[in-house]
Amino acid sequence: MLLKLEHVKKEYDSFKLDCSLEVKKGQVTGLVGSNGAGKSTTFKSILGLIFPDEGNIELLGKDISAITASDKEEIGVVLTEANVCEYLTAKDLIPIMKAMYKDFSTEDYMDKCKAYGIPLKKIIKDFSTGMKAKLKVILAMSHNAKLLILDEPTAGLDVIMRNELLDMLRDYMENEERGILISSHISTDLEGLCDDIYMIANGKIIMHEETDVLLSEYGVLKLTKEQYETVDKAYILSSKEEKFGYLCLTNQKDFYMENYPEIAIEKGNIDDFIILMEKGVRK
Amino acid sequence: MNLIINNSSMTPIYEQIVSQMKEKIMSGQLKPDAMLPSVRTLSKDLRISALTVKKAYDAMEQEGYIVTVHGKGSFVANVNPNLAIEEKQKEVEKIFEQGIRKGKECGMTKEDMMELFDVVLSDF
Repeated sequence: MLLKLEHVKKEYDSFKLDCSLEVKKGQVTGLVGSNGAGKSTTFKSILGLIFPDEGNIELLGKDISAITASDKEEIGVVLTEANVCEYLTAKDLIPIMKAMYKDFSTEDYMDKCKAYGIPLKKIIKDFSTGMKAKLKVILAMSHNAKLLILDEPTAGLDVIMRNELLDMLRDYMENEERGILISSHISTDLEGLCDDIYMIANGKIIMHEETDVLLSEYGVLKLTKEQYETVDKAYILSSKEEKFGYLCLTNQKDFYMENYPEIAIEKGNIDDFIILMEKGVRK
Repeated sequence: MNLIINNSSMTPIYEQIVSQMKEKIMSGQLKPDAMLPSVRTLSKDLRISALTVKKAYDAMEQEGYIVTVHGKGSFVANVNPNLAIEEKQKEVEKIFEQGIRKGKECGMTKEDMMELFDVVLSDF
């Protein structure tokens, strides 16, 4: 187990976090949720940037209070608003990284910069958004970290850049000892990368499922008012009233396809599931 | 490994992997003892989660199509050629079942169905 959170609680004036989640070795775990749902608070708690009021955090098999500076070298981080100094070049970062991380590999870093089109001698201020984002991920991956913690690494990137970035992460995962915790607002990114996904809303984890199960067994039913009255609701997780009737989220799509062939059933995607879990009436 | 995954299909992705790999094994495109790509590599190539690939490999191992040696990887098993025929027969049986169920739903008798069966068969 690379990371384990048990009822990590943090209370602010208008917000309460109560989060439990796990990241296993060899797995990519996603965290999705709308703005203000508690994703960043969770990330900050894991990194020791804020201190939870209650609960346990286990990082790399140790309680977070016992984590040393050299343990922290095993963690690679990308945060949304944390950037490297913009007046440096990618090459200037080498001695800084070297001084900070024992395992930093200059060669590997330069190779990756080259492979992903990051110029070494241009000042970072003149980089495009996509290049800055890629550099941040390359830096997180440059010191052989076991655990990557990535808070929206793909935010603001076009589809091509996002794909390149996700491929970088897939390459990183070829080493089975590693794991990634990643958040994103773009659900297709997560569908193709994560092994399991946690959904967070109002500070609470409201759903945890393997991506494979989400994509193969979950679905969205579109029901007329009459159908909604009569349909067996045993496998409906959440429903939301619409002009035409009801949208319902099920975790047993096949049950409805077999027993109610007249119902319109969509495979749906993680975005649909988020909307229904957050805005619908949950069972 | 050339597999085509249809992300918008209602068929679960792991089932798509299983059926395409089985076909490759049955047709001899994948020979016994051939090494399969690792779970991570295939997941990277297909841009799907590693657990999905693992599920597919586990299912094929259970059915005896592949063998996984811990620490070494997964390999194509020596598949009994009768298995291929059995597999196809199962598919045919399934299609018949669907047909019969539909026939029953609209009130066809056994005789009606037999008659229809003969009519269709005579076309071949």
